[in-house]
Amino acid sequence: MEIVKRTLIVVLCLLLIPVAAVSTAAVKQRFADGPNRVFSGGPLESGDLHSGPEPDWRFVSDIETIEMQLLDPPRSRRIWTAEFDGKIYVWSGYMRTAVGRLWKRWPVQAERDGRAVIRINGTRYERQLVRITSGEVLDGITAAISSKYPSQTTRAAVEAGEAWVFEAAPRN
Amino acid sequence: MKIFYQCIAVAVVVTVLAVAFVPSASDWVEQVFQQYVGRAAR
Repeated sequence: MEIVKRTLIVVLCLLLIPVAAVSTAAVKQRFADGPNRVFSGGPLESGDLHSGPEPDWRFVSDIETIEMQLLDPPRSRRIWTAEFDGKIYVWSGYMRTAVGRLWKRWPVQAERDGRAVIRINGTRYERQLVRITSGEVLDGITAAISSKYPSQTTRAAVEAGEAWVFEAAPRN
Repeated sequence: MKIFYQCIAVAVVVTVLAVAFVPSASDWVEQVFQQYVGRAAR
């Protein structure tokens, strides 16, 4: 019994090292100008702020991920994006699962206060996230998502609340 | 066992300092973490 207990202690102690490494990297990223890979970053500070007419968002079809920051709380993350009918969209899956709701808190925060900044190719855009819960437009959006990513997001999934889709609309 | 605990404590402190201050160390940690999470998700 003693040997089992000691082995367990040794394993737990050794696990402390990678846990410390990951925790430190995650905390460090919070103070950075934007996210890196998976950890949330701090506010998006660098890059020109776009002004003028609405961009032609079709260019995001060639971009894998964008950086997005909510104003409240001012944290940024790297997310997928898609363009449909001249508008830009972001989304989050797994929203009906406990793990998903715990892991992905930004959609709930965005529904409360949709003011956001996105940064693409070093340019920042002030946007207002507007959740889309139903409608025919979801057919086109989910088709755009599925053609760009290995995602099985469907209109039915969005309308069932499994995936939350937001239009990153211009902020007035 | 006491020496083992001391070694672990030193290793944890060195790890935290290295990830916090060595350039690209945190990126490497995040990359490895991403690989593990991605594998687990699949």
